Amino acid sequence: MLSEWFSRLRFLIAGKKRAAVDEELQFHLELETEANVAAGMSPAEARRRAAIAFGSRERAREECREARPVWSLEALGRDVRYALRGLLRNSGFAVIAVLTLALAIGANTTIFSLLDQALIRALPVKDPQQLVVLSFAGDTDGHTHSEGGNSLGHRHEFSYPMYLDLRSRNKVFSGLIAAAPASVGVTWNNQAESASAEMVSGNYFETLDVRPAMGRLLQPSDESAPGANPVAVLNFDFWRTHLGEAPVVGRTLLVNGTPFTIVGVAAPGFHSMVFGRLPAIYVPITEQKVLIPEWDFLNDHSSYWINLLGRLRPNMTAARASAAIHPLFVSLREAEFALLKDQSEKALAGFVTNSRLNLDAGARGFSPMRDDVRTPFLIVMGMVLLVIGMATVNVASLLLVRAATRGREFSVRFALGATNGQILRQLLAEGLLLGAAGAVLGLALAPEALRLLIHGISTGSEHESVFSATLDWRVLLFTLLATLAASVLFSLAPAAQFWSPKLADALRQQSGTVSGTSLRFRRTCVGLQIGFSLLLIVGAGLFVRTITNLRSVYPGFATDHLLAFNLDPAMAGYPAAGVAPVEQRALDAIAALPGVRGVGATNDQDLSDDGRSGDVKVSGYTPPPNDDYDVELPWVSDGYLQTLGVPLVAGRYFNAGDTATSQKVAIVNERFAKHFFGSAAAALGHHVSRPERPGTDAMIVGVVKDVKHSSVRDPASPTDYTLFARAERTTGLTFYVRTWQPPDAATNSLRAAIARVDSKLIVNDPRTMTADIDVDIQAERTIALLATTFGVMAALLAGIGLYGILAYSTAQRTREIGIRMAMGARRSAVVGLIVREVLVLAGIAVAVTIPVALLATQAIRSQLFGVSSADPAVYGVGILVICLVAVIAGLVPARRAATVDPATALRTE
Amino acid sequence: MPPTTDLLQGTLDMLILKTLGPGPEHGWAIAQRIQQMSEDVLQIGQGSLYPALHRLEYRGWIRAQWGASENNRRARFYSLTAAGRRQLDAELANWERLTGAVNLVLQHA
Repeated sequence: MLSEWFSRLRFLIAGKKRAAVDEELQFHLELETEANVAAGMSPAEARRRAAIAFGSRERAREECREARPVWSLEALGRDVRYALRGLLRNSGFAVIAVLTLALAIGANTTIFSLLDQALIRALPVKDPQQLVVLSFAGDTDGHTHSEGGNSLGHRHEFSYPMYLDLRSRNKVFSGLIAAAPASVGVTWNNQAESASAEMVSGNYFETLDVRPAMGRLLQPSDESAPGANPVAVLNFDFWRTHLGEAPVVGRTLLVNGTPFTIVGVAAPGFHSMVFGRLPAIYVPITEQKVLIPEWDFLNDHSSYWINLLGRLRPNMTAARASAAIHPLFVSLREAEFALLKDQSEKALAGFVTNSRLNLDAGARGFSPMRDDVRTPFLIVMGMVLLVIGMATVNVASLLLVRAATRGREFSVRFALGATNGQILRQLLAEGLLLGAAGAVLGLALAPEALRLLIHGISTGSEHESVFSATLDWRVLLFTLLATLAASVLFSLAPAAQFWSPKLADALRQQSGTVSGTSLRFRRTCVGLQIGFSLLLIVGAGLFVRTITNLRSVYPGFATDHLLAFNLDPAMAGYPAAGVAPVEQRALDAIAALPGVRGVGATNDQDLSDDGRSGDVKVSGYTPPPNDDYDVELPWVSDGYLQTLGVPLVAGRYFNAGDTATSQKVAIVNERFAKHFFGSAAAALGHHVSRPERPGTDAMIVGVVKDVKHSSVRDPASPTDYTLFARAERTTGLTFYVRTWQPPDAATNSLRAAIARVDSKLIVNDPRTMTADIDVDIQAERTIALLATTFGVMAALLAGIGLYGILAYSTAQRTREIGIRMAMGARRSAVVGLIVREVLVLAGIAVAVTIPVALLATQAIRSQLFGVSSADPAVYGVGILVICLVAVIAGLVPARRAATVDPATALRTE
Repeated sequence: MPPTTDLLQGTLDMLILKTLGPGPEHGWAIAQRIQQMSEDVLQIGQGSLYPALHRLEYRGWIRAQWGASENNRRARFYSLTAAGRRQLDAELANWERLTGAVNLVLQHA
């Protein structure tokens, strides 16, 4: 079968020369003549006989030509030309159909492109299928620095000593690489700004096979000893947009105040082994102390902070590698366990016996965000698929109406000997032509839509987006397939109506139109359109309610007139001892500004999915066994709670009396107090500390009301506030400034105030609290926006489609209406008759759709907030909207029909 | 013109493939061979021979090459391809089944 296709294809491309056919036929004729001569005929007679026996030469030639596979292409060309003429004759219809398809295809291409980038596409490195993401199961003891993306039995952060052991002692990887993110201050040409950096192992670039755009990349010798190699590689985009493509190799830039020599720029398009990370610079992992000054991670077995990615040796599978590396991992865990304090059986089981190293397919790289965006993306993808389904039904019904009025044309063609197959081909040609036009227009719209959408998604962050607005081959393939499927479906719709053995007879009998042949089919179309749009409108309604609910959540403090920014003195090169004092000076400087009602700071940003939690030891409280009660542990300034406006329940706020030498104090929230002491008042005077860290001991002096901390979605967590100035380590802070005037207006005076403290300090990411919340509920906002767009689109499409069908079927009934009116029916009665029919149809469609919708919305439940997936109000409004659309679509043709003069109506046909 | 016997559709293809079994032949020789072997019952109208040859070639069942005829003239020689050989086997089997069935009916009816 395949060889036949190849052969056909070969001739289709190469063709065959006419002269060759002629020569062959001539040769035959000559041999025949010679044979006749040999049989004893005269030469003239022999030629004559040969020619007679041969028959018509022209016909033989023609038939040889028709045997060519090319012939059907020519026929296709004819069909396309004919289809084009047909569509142009009916250009209004064609324009509506093409626009409908363009919208649907454009939307699908746009969303699929994002989905592809987030969930499907591999990292832009060599042989990504050889990569595996490392994660492990097993307890940890110490500090974990995570960006998210972990699940049960899959921790993605490793310690550096563990990494070194795995790297040097495994026999399964041709390369094992490590990376960790850091937010740093970068100074170039005396211009300081904050940027993301990635600390990477020396073999990072060589294992990924990323090439330099200029200079060199990092190499294993750059990872020799802590602090030994202050060299940096720049990301291509950062070099282009922030350094103006300057010749940078060999020059110096400051990272957190420490000079680093730029050795090269990475190839364009490469960002990180972790999808979603967009570092501006790459530095050796051994420079950790410069990038995260408050921690010493490099020699610590119990600091979990780096992500690992391995490249399997050729011919090594993930399963075999996993089995081969398991004993090594367990022996390393055993060695680590020996260093721990808790040597109990239970601890051993959790730390060593039940530990396991996972090697998961890593072509796409690890991503802390992928799991979070999967559901939203799939929901939106489901919606656009509904839209294209809707558009398909829509165009199908338009084609159906059009085909029905073309009964005479088809009758003539049947009479002229056209076969069912030829008619079908013609309908397909028309459909594909519409589809192709729609796809071209849709593809033209897609990049712009994509750009807008990406811009919308990245609102609130100054950084560039992970997503790019260019369409790659995979997206184009998707668009092609979607278009093809839709086109075939909608062009076959009218064919289904025509393609029956009795068709030709039916057409011969009816002079004008093909009526009634598929009333049911038409009704199905109407029903499907109503159903599809109801689904989309309900979806849109649920998300709009979700977003209004989220926006109106009261987090426990007023979010208006609140300006936030980040300040990390370490980024300006401050040594640890200098950080807290300069932060205090910054607080004082801002408090002194006119127009500022209050200022506070915390190391644990509010309402941004950020958390700093751990377990605590509470005096006078014996935890039940296996108690794993995590508490939020923000370090704040003394004015923080008052500035946010968190109400006091018992005791007092922090105040100026809490100095560096006085008793260490803590304030807890109600939830904390109730859990440990039963009531707020009972908490006062008790002591709280971190286990095994006596230096953290502090006395509870106040209890405040619960406030939402990590997100407006989540309930308040138990919280233990302590003062940042008395904390174990120094840290960057998020400042909250309550202003009298609109908060944006205060930004410049804030910057000036900070610059007066020290011009090297970087005011990072100033934004209002409301903008922060918007970023927090980004996914819901985006879905709500898209869902609303698709819902409106669906209602519009349904309107157009219904109008088309109803206009046609009402026109079909002109005669009946004429009779009714001649018998004395009033116009309103006629209109009512038609509208009633439409409503009955809509009612049936709605009744069928609602169970489907109830089922489908189960899938989006996880993304809803404060609204049930069966919310009656949303369904009610949806049904109302769709019925309204149906009535309007029916009313227009009904009124037109009712204005017809009965006499004229009776005379039609 | 001698009386021709209408060939069942597809039968000509089978006969051509069968004729080419022993080795490459040009069009005229194929027609002659069929005529001789059928003792002049089957006369292939050239108007159908060449379209059939071309059709078979397009389908990849036979291959055409220019070569020299017995008296050293340029002629197109057709030969069976592997796919053609398989097709011939399939058609022969089919034919035998068909004729066997027809014979059975004729004998017993």
